Amino acid sequence: MKILIIEDEEGLRESIEEYFTESGNICETADSYQSALSKVNLYRYDCILLDITLPDGNGINILKSLKENNHPDGVLIISAKNSLDDRLEGLNIGADDYLVKPFHLSELKARVSAIIRRKSYNGSNLLVFNEITIDLMAKEVKVDKTPVKFTRKEFALLLYFIANKGKVVSKNAIAEHLWGDGIDMANNFDFIYSHIKNIRKKLMEAGCTDYIQAAYGMGYKFSAP
Amino acid sequence: MKLLTTYNRVNLATTIIVMLITGIIYYQAISYILTGQKDKDLVVEEQEIFDYVKLNHELPQTFESNDQQITFYTAVPGSIQREFFNTQYFEKDEGHRHHRHGGEYESGRGLISSVTVGDKYYKIQIIESKVETEDLIRLIFFITIGLILFLLLILLLTNRLILNRLWQPFYNIMGELRLFNIADTHEIPSVPTTIDEFKELNTTVAEMAARAKHDYQDLKVFTENASHELLTPIAVINSKLDTLIQTENFSDRQSNLLNDLYGAVSRLNRLNQSLLLLVKIENRLLHDKQQINLRELLEEMLSQFEEIFNDKNLNLVVNLEDKEVNASRYLAEILLSNLISNAIRHNYNGGEIVIRLTSQSLVIKNTGGPEQLEEEKIFTRFHKSSGSEGSGLGLTISRQICENFGFRLEYLFEDKFHVFVVEF
Repeated sequence: MKILIIEDEEGLRESIEEYFTESGNICETADSYQSALSKVNLYRYDCILLDITLPDGNGINILKSLKENNHPDGVLIISAKNSLDDRLEGLNIGADDYLVKPFHLSELKARVSAIIRRKSYNGSNLLVFNEITIDLMAKEVKVDKTPVKFTRKEFALLLYFIANKGKVVSKNAIAEHLWGDGIDMANNFDFIYSHIKNIRKKLMEAGCTDYIQAAYGMGYKFSAP
Repeated sequence: MKLLTTYNRVNLATTIIVMLITGIIYYQAISYILTGQKDKDLVVEEQEIFDYVKLNHELPQTFESNDQQITFYTAVPGSIQREFFNTQYFEKDEGHRHHRHGGEYESGRGLISSVTVGDKYYKIQIIESKVETEDLIRLIFFITIGLILFLLLILLLTNRLILNRLWQPFYNIMGELRLFNIADTHEIPSVPTTIDEFKELNTTVAEMAARAKHDYQDLKVFTENASHELLTPIAVINSKLDTLIQTENFSDRQSNLLNDLYGAVSRLNRLNQSLLLLVKIENRLLHDKQQINLRELLEEMLSQFEEIFNDKNLNLVVNLEDKEVNASRYLAEILLSNLISNAIRHNYNGGEIVIRLTSQSLVIKNTGGPEQLEEEKIFTRFHKSSGSEGSGLGLTISRQICENFGFRLEYLFEDKFHVFVVEF
């Protein structure tokens, strides 16, 4: 997958690039409005991560130019502005998603995966990972044809893990993904543990490999052992 | 004391004092003039006696009239000094001649003089009644008193009417000041008045208000900018931490440190978000008003919190009626989530939470610390109970949201329950 990261903050750009490159994606970066615009006009990407507050221009114009030229690239806006108006403006112009800074890289990855899935599978609703098949529309999970019943949160968590496969996902990131950042439960993540336990139990009962491992007490990692 | 009362009091006192002083002067002047008049009469009388003596070489017959008594006494020659004096005039009562007193004393004015008839030296005493003079003075006095009272009455009435009207601009400005809210956009209007002092007061007040608002705005812009600027470094720290934990092979010690870092960053982030949110609410920048069914929203929220309730073994008692409000959904969610998270965070394991929604109010009760909290303190910024890991802004934000919605948020302590009531 080809991803363009338009972000003027060097530290953030590098982190995103590193996090996305590892899993076999091709990442390109742009640190200014002008370089971003020229890249967007020359090449096509599966997903563009667009910071709208650039030093030499408003990122919204890049989005507008993409839409005017009918380019199909998926666009995820990264913004420091958490205002409804900005969010609505971005989505109305044609962005696929809107993520507010600061965010966890795993959250960004999950969102990008969702966008790319929607774009490239073109209406196909099946997500396959080894023996696990997930029907995204029906929200059904099968392990080698055996259906597994998941709750809403467990389903969301499984998707999150698969989008971040091979990565250590922190408990903070999981909590924010499932409960939103409005929930301020002061680093008490015991309740996440019971969710993970349930997912593992259900998958293994259906004969699935145990993909989820605890990672140093900081988080969890979904990967083939 | 009201201005009018003070003014009236001072006015009344000075008017009465001035009137008294002028009354005394007036009395003295009139009595002086009238006494002078009497003295002239006495001199005329004396002259008549002298004329009579010169012509007839004998004393005139003494006679008494209603208001005049003349008496002659023999005296040692040269012993009499001519002088006017105040005395009493004995008025013989014509109708009661046999009455024991036989008349009454009136104040009188007398003249002692002397005359020589032949070789005899006589003292002349002429006394005239001053009763008519005094009647005149009394009449003048009463008329004056009447005038004074009338004047005072008129003064009081006009003061009341005119002063109230005159001070109206002042009261208008006061009313505006009372309504003044540093956070809203309402400016102090100019009050129509022709009085310079009030015009000046009005402009000064308006300028002051504008300056205060401007400074407040500056401060808010600063808070907002500062919070915004903080977002990027927080985002960088966050993403670097996410990258760091991918490097694997951590010792227990390292992973504990990383966990603490994650916790601190997420707190920093929440704090920053809360500050930004406060600025937004205060600036009334959130306009996504819509009909919200609070019962549905609460149910949705409670299902979100389900695991956390279970994790803390909290006994949840929920009793919800339908309640529609027209408000920003975003803010309503924050309000409910803040109140519920507080009820969880300050609860103990196995405690209880009671949530009751009626058409008048939303009540969220929770068990927790045994002590009543101080209502004024808990709503102030950055007030936290010891050991709380919250931002210290949750209740401030909740109260601001309620204010924004036109609700009221109150805290009570009832029967071991900490109670937060939102009155619609």
